[in-house]
Amino acid sequence: MGLTLVGVAEGVYERNCVPCHQALPSTLQQMFKRYLLVYSGEKNLKASIKHYLQYPDRSISVMSDLFIQRYGIKSKSWLSDAELDEAIEVYWDQFKVFGRLQ
Amino acid sequence: MLVSKNRATNSLLKSEKRSLFRFLTLYVAMVSLLFGLIGVLYYQSAQKLMLSDRRADLTKYAYIQTKRLKLLHHFFDEKRTYPRDPRFVSAIYDIELVPIFSLLEQPQIAFDKEIYIIGDKIHFIKTLDTYYLGAKYLILEVENSGAWLENFWRDVILYGLVAFVLFMLLGLYLAKLFVKPMRNSMVLLDRFIKDTTHELNTPLTAILANIEMMDQEIMAEKNRKKLTRITVAAKMVSVLYRDLTYLILEQEKESIEETIALKALIEERVEYFDILARSKQITIELKLAKVSLVMDRQKCIRVLDNLLSNAIKYNHQGGRIVIVLREGYLSIEDTGVGIAHKQIPLMFDRYMRFNQSEGGFGIGLSIVKKIIDEKGLDIHVTSKEGRGTKMVIVW
Repeated sequence: MGLTLVGVAEGVYERNCVPCHQALPSTLQQMFKRYLLVYSGEKNLKASIKHYLQYPDRSISVMSDLFIQRYGIKSKSWLSDAELDEAIEVYWDQFKVFGRLQ
Repeated sequence: MLVSKNRATNSLLKSEKRSLFRFLTLYVAMVSLLFGLIGVLYYQSAQKLMLSDRRADLTKYAYIQTKRLKLLHHFFDEKRTYPRDPRFVSAIYDIELVPIFSLLEQPQIAFDKEIYIIGDKIHFIKTLDTYYLGAKYLILEVENSGAWLENFWRDVILYGLVAFVLFMLLGLYLAKLFVKPMRNSMVLLDRFIKDTTHELNTPLTAILANIEMMDQEIMAEKNRKKLTRITVAAKMVSVLYRDLTYLILEQEKESIEETIALKALIEERVEYFDILARSKQITIELKLAKVSLVMDRQKCIRVLDNLLSNAIKYNHQGGRIVIVLREGYLSIEDTGVGIAHKQIPLMFDRYMRFNQSEGGFGIGLSIVKKIIDEKGLDIHVTSKEGRGTKMVIVW
């Protein structure tokens, strides 16, 4: 399931994404890796996350059917484009592979 | 048709040499082009074969590396070390062709190819179906040992040389076929001249002997003029006859070298051609020093007669001829029609004639050149169309 975003303020990612995902068995990093497996590049990945947050749907989710059956599909985000971009940017920076391999 | 050859026709004329040179140049160019094309195709083929051999190994390596990437992807939280292999180095690129991690020594990558050579390396690109760590492209790099290139050059040099030599031999054979019709026509012309020359001797001798016996003192002026014209014509035919005789018979004979007083001989030959010169109102100016030359007398006469008769034949009505003789130098200069600069190198070729208005076979100057060369003298020609020609012999 995608990210759950609930507020517009400083630290939009921490405020709107992290709290809900803490309750889920699949971490944000694991979800990021699922996005990587499907979408590969940075622009592609960010665009797909943004699209899913704006138009969540079972058919385009990167999560397994079992996960969706158990936790369902997230509700549509009401964050603005700028807020979504900011949150996704933080998410990307936190878990990206670039520069982390040795 | 079978035709026999004599010594004269065995050597190549300048025009023949030029045709032969053009043919051989074209042939060598075509053969080189063909060999170049075959070489390029063979190079590409050898390269493809080598890459095909390497592809099997590289596909196997790529499979192994993909499995390692899969593991790293799943344990990325704990492990951050990119998998390495002593047999190859690798890199991973995302779908946007941005490098995620690279150990490559040659960073330029042609993503539109599967396998290719770059510098001293070979790149193999595997497109991943599942983007482990976000990687769509896995690039493997191995050393290009160059052994195939050594084999390629060995084959090219060995087989190429053999084939080139064979083609050159074929070229020479074709060149001979190429000049054969030209050569045959000259041999036929030689034979024709030889046959007709024999028939000229008796009537010509009779004409000249009878002219000399005629008493011109008692002859009417009208008849004397007619006799002069007959004499001129007969002497021209006589020069031609002697040229032909020389060409067919005398050139084969051994030279009888003697010391020739050139001044006296030139005066004698000028006297011989005097009637011919007077018929065209040509004045002959002599600037002769006492010079002697060791040479075959008959050959010397052939040279002088031909140069003099040409100077008269190709001169204008009322023209002028200047003959200068000094030690090691003889020049005969006329004020005649001249010859184009580009035709000068061809003027000594046998049967080469540039002016159809005057008779002749075009053999005179070829005889002159042959004698001059045989004696080791040099002949230089300067000419301007419409202004005249200067022939200089130096020794």
